[in-house]
Amino acid sequence: MNKRISTVLAILIAGGSLLMVNCNGDGSKSKKDDFAIPDSIFKDKPLMISKEAMNDIIDNISSPVEMAALIKSTGVPFNQKFLASTKNVDNLSTDFKQALNLGVYGCDLGYLNMYEKTGSIISNMQAIKKLADQLRIGHFFDFNTIKRLATNNENIDSLMYISVSSFNNMDEYLRENNRSDISSLLVTGMWIEGMYLACQVVKEVPHKDLVERIGDSKIVLSDLLLILKNYQSNSSFANLVKEIEKIKKEYENVTIHVIPGEPEMVEIDGMLTFKSNDQQIIDISDETLAKIIAAIENTRTMIINL
Amino acid sequence: MKNVIKILSVLLLSLTINHSFAQSDDLVNVCALGIGNATYLKDFKVKLPANSPAQKFSVILNKGTMYKFVVCNAEGYEGKAVIQISEGSNALVSNLKPDGTFAEAVGFSCSKTGMYNIMCSFKNAKEGAAVIIMSYVTK
Repeated sequence: MNKRISTVLAILIAGGSLLMVNCNGDGSKSKKDDFAIPDSIFKDKPLMISKEAMNDIIDNISSPVEMAALIKSTGVPFNQKFLASTKNVDNLSTDFKQALNLGVYGCDLGYLNMYEKTGSIISNMQAIKKLADQLRIGHFFDFNTIKRLATNNENIDSLMYISVSSFNNMDEYLRENNRSDISSLLVTGMWIEGMYLACQVVKEVPHKDLVERIGDSKIVLSDLLLILKNYQSNSSFANLVKEIEKIKKEYENVTIHVIPGEPEMVEIDGMLTFKSNDQQIIDISDETLAKIIAAIENTRTMIINL
Repeated sequence: MKNVIKILSVLLLSLTINHSFAQSDDLVNVCALGIGNATYLKDFKVKLPANSPAQKFSVILNKGTMYKFVVCNAEGYEGKAVIQISEGSNALVSNLKPDGTFAEAVGFSCSKTGMYNIMCSFKNAKEGAAVIIMSYVTK
């Protein structure tokens, strides 16, 4: 009797596993199962911060779409040259390289969407799809729908929503499945690329809002380092931490202080809205800004040439 | 036999959880349609049994950005989600109005980049499920 039950269970479990593989949208075994960052590397070492804290920090890193929106609001036109080339995508041979560059391309997708450059999206999306598949999270990226919306120049809001939510879902899945190391790389790639785009625009037009956003990113930088340091027993992570620490060093001369204001509740377009009215002063000299830009560019060059 | 029951329970539970996730994703899609002229940034899914403490999410909000938070309650639950945006212990804005009714959306005009909390509970501590869509309003 027990043997029969065990057999039934084995079939159920095997069936379930097959179902899960199929749900991943790619029934074939990944070419990179001999993975550059074995899970065991991290499993044996306690994390410096709890999983909950990690999740909080990763959640905290602002969406690259916000940066793209800010860039667009400055009135500076779209520039294709700012975007990372997708030519080398086939050479990204490890999960480490793939995850970082997936973040970079994800951010570029936000920039393309923001400027409604739907015609240029296809090669970016193909790179994203390829990397996401290699990382076994491609099933969250609805390539066909995004492609249809982009090629038909259909509803840009829908295109933006599907693009952003695909990345949010990938990130959520990674963290729920104990792959926070990959999630942290995805977020890092996005953050660096967002900063890189902002820096390129500031070099052309030093718009005050954008300079301030670069300056107040000091707040996020420490958090980013905190999550990456969790994995620095791996040499690739250790090198990345060193790079990001160089950026952090350039931020030492950025000062941020706040003059408290009187908050008020107002109605804007029929919506109850809280206005804090605090004044945040971000002091960043031209010299410091130039050094931050150079450090960001170096790190971004390192990532896209991995 | 006990082990078999345990394994079957785990399998059933995982199927139920997967089904719940699929439902919450549907709710996110529906809720995102209601953000109007704003642009979707992130969503937060909340499911709490009765008498649970509020669930907390942390987000970095940026100076100069106007954020919009839309709440959608899942069908089949009595609880209505109450969200409160706070900075540290300072409550800033809630979708629950003083008269006990709910605002469909609340705005937050951010003048200081920093970490803010989104607290979500259900009115009268009832069981509930909801999604919160965070978006920004284009200038």
